[in-house]
Amino acid sequence: MTDQDRLRDMLLRPSRRHVISGMAALGAVAAIPPRHALAQKRVPITEGDFAPLPIAIPNFVAGTPADGDVGVGVTQVIANNLKRSGLFAPIDQAAYIEKAINVDIAPNFQNWKTINAQALVTGRMTRQPDGRMKAEFRLWDVNTAQQLAGQQYFTSPESWRRIAHIISDQIYERLTGEKGYFDSRIVFVDETGSKERRVKRLALMDQDGANVRYLTRGNDLVLTPRFSPSSQEITYMEFGQGDPRVYLFNIETGQREIVGNFPGMSFAPRFSPDGQRVIMSLQQGSNANLFVMDLRSKTTTRLTDTPAIDTSPSYAPDGSRLCFESDRGGKPQIYVMAATGGPAQRISFGEGSYSTPVWSPRGDYIAFTKQGGGQFAIGIMKTDGSGERILTSGYHNEGPTFAPNGRVLMFFREPGGNSGPSLFTVDVSGRNEQRVPTPGFASDPAWSPLLS
Amino acid sequence: MKVKVDKTVLASVALHVLVLGAVLLSFSTRALEVRPEESVGVDISLESQVAAGMKTGKKEEKQPLVEKVAEAKPTDDAVGKIDEKKQPVVTDTAPEPQPKVVEKPEEKKPEPPKVAEKPKEEPKPVEKKPEPAVDPIAEAIKKEEKKKPKPPKPPVQAAKPPEQHKPKERVFDQSKIAALIDKRDPSRHAATGDTLNSNASLGLSKGRAGDNSATWGSMFRRQVENCWKKPYGGIEQERPEVAFNIRLKKDGTLEAMPVPDGTPSSPYARAYSESALRAIIQCQPYKLPAQFYDEWKAFIPVFQERPI
Repeated sequence: MTDQDRLRDMLLRPSRRHVISGMAALGAVAAIPPRHALAQKRVPITEGDFAPLPIAIPNFVAGTPADGDVGVGVTQVIANNLKRSGLFAPIDQAAYIEKAINVDIAPNFQNWKTINAQALVTGRMTRQPDGRMKAEFRLWDVNTAQQLAGQQYFTSPESWRRIAHIISDQIYERLTGEKGYFDSRIVFVDETGSKERRVKRLALMDQDGANVRYLTRGNDLVLTPRFSPSSQEITYMEFGQGDPRVYLFNIETGQREIVGNFPGMSFAPRFSPDGQRVIMSLQQGSNANLFVMDLRSKTTTRLTDTPAIDTSPSYAPDGSRLCFESDRGGKPQIYVMAATGGPAQRISFGEGSYSTPVWSPRGDYIAFTKQGGGQFAIGIMKTDGSGERILTSGYHNEGPTFAPNGRVLMFFREPGGNSGPSLFTVDVSGRNEQRVPTPGFASDPAWSPLLS
Repeated sequence: MKVKVDKTVLASVALHVLVLGAVLLSFSTRALEVRPEESVGVDISLESQVAAGMKTGKKEEKQPLVEKVAEAKPTDDAVGKIDEKKQPVVTDTAPEPQPKVVEKPEEKKPEPPKVAEKPKEEPKPVEKKPEPAVDPIAEAIKKEEKKKPKPPKPPVQAAKPPEQHKPKERVFDQSKIAALIDKRDPSRHAATGDTLNSNASLGLSKGRAGDNSATWGSMFRRQVENCWKKPYGGIEQERPEVAFNIRLKKDGTLEAMPVPDGTPSSPYARAYSESALRAIIQCQPYKLPAQFYDEWKAFIPVFQERPI
């Protein structure tokens, strides 16, 4: 008879004899490990803050005297990235007790506890004899005195901003448990000139607004650029001499190629998740239907056949389904169907109309533009249409695009009047909205996948 | 002068004394013998809630009998690596190594700190895609930590290594007689606890330790929640929960680094667990009622998302 049996016996039939034998069992109960025997209380803790994490990022030290500027530059890019994410609160360098930290040794954590830093980033930039740049960084947990991450990178000196973005992604990922999104780019439509004679050029920049490059000269009107998920290509719509057409554009080579040769307009293109196909709308009279074209075989397949306007298709990340906008029910609404076509299911049922649906690269949400009550809003809903959440609303907001990690959206906002549009980011909680710096007016942003 | 004693008085006194004395003695034992009904309150309680009471204990004793400081049961380890099995007492400066990150640049074999400057792999000249390189410095730091002296064991005389029963020559030892006449179950385990207490207690009323966790628990909760900055990224997908075994000193500071229960299952769960750990450390010292110290000197805060 084991102690447990005896104890159970005792509890079930509490005769005196059993109780006495149970007393002996008590000795055994007391002998099981103290964690159980002493009945430690479990105290539930549920109400944490979603406050940004205080992080200290002292300037990366210079490995050689010539590397001082790049060290400061890398530090600023990292601090800016983390701050804009809304999840981190970089502490002002003026408060630091130590200004330059040797990356080779464990820091004096007390100096960082004093200024309430919870995380600390140390680093060094060193120009190598072969001309390349070595970047080293360490991420420390101040309270537990642990190193959370540490890496070295080698790159060409002019790519130091990318190094800063990659380090930012490492920090973000280690401390939030989410993939980062800083090492990515944005393609958008740059707008200059007066409202009547607006010049629209296709432009490319880093996610934080640096390194702007123009891809077209602005002779023709360009709209809705979209990144390929797998190559350095974008697809977009351009009004040329005749009807608007869908084009492919290689960022590296500058080569441009028309996608298919269809009668009437082709518009609202987007790549499939494998980058092998482009899905778009083709005009047929006063209607538009969805078609998908295989980029290698050039074969085109019809996906919808309705007397309505079906447009803005966007694939789920696994490529099995797609969402699109259709006015088949009267007003524009969001529908979901299999990637091979077939019956579609309406998922948007709120007041007003819904357009420009985009499936999150993470698969959990569909973002949209919602129009109603004289307002344009950007929102997200789950892929079955539940849990709709408006992230921002105003005179005119349009064209959401997801960051590679699916936690942040970029869109453009037009304030009205004689002004022009500009780019903004907002996270999926709607708490953190940031303006994205651009040289001029900007619209139609599309976020690239992570570069590495 | 001669006092004349009346014989009858004398006899009367003697008789009275005799009778009264007999009455006193015989009645006293009987009259005072109250045979109380032995009430056996069988309170169904989890075995973990039973404070080890003893029938022979005294009411005044609040603490359960502890004959032996609890220690982990030795596994069958003939070599006797007892120290390695023990939980090291970690301090802020010498933290216990955490579960490894997926990418482990530090995983290389130990190398002397001298070569720390040299990248291990010959890095290819890549412009587009910078590559992660070995991190020899972390290695050096780790080695340093290992070199640090082990913290001294708590000075408890009863905690002896549970091994080495060498057969000895038979020697007559008087003290063994006590053991011989101890008719208790020879295979019984000693009552264990974290501090020695030679007085058996009767156990507390209700047969369990006092529970004031509603009071000090909510005080602890309020304090630690002020420090907890949780990462909110994946909360909609995962509903993480992490429990820590923590031990506090009387002054409300941590006695050792809190130990999480189990290992996190995802990067998000890890970030969540680390945010909780940061909060526990940052918020000390905790202001908790001293009279309940026995309850809050060791407990388990569970960080979790409130159910929707």
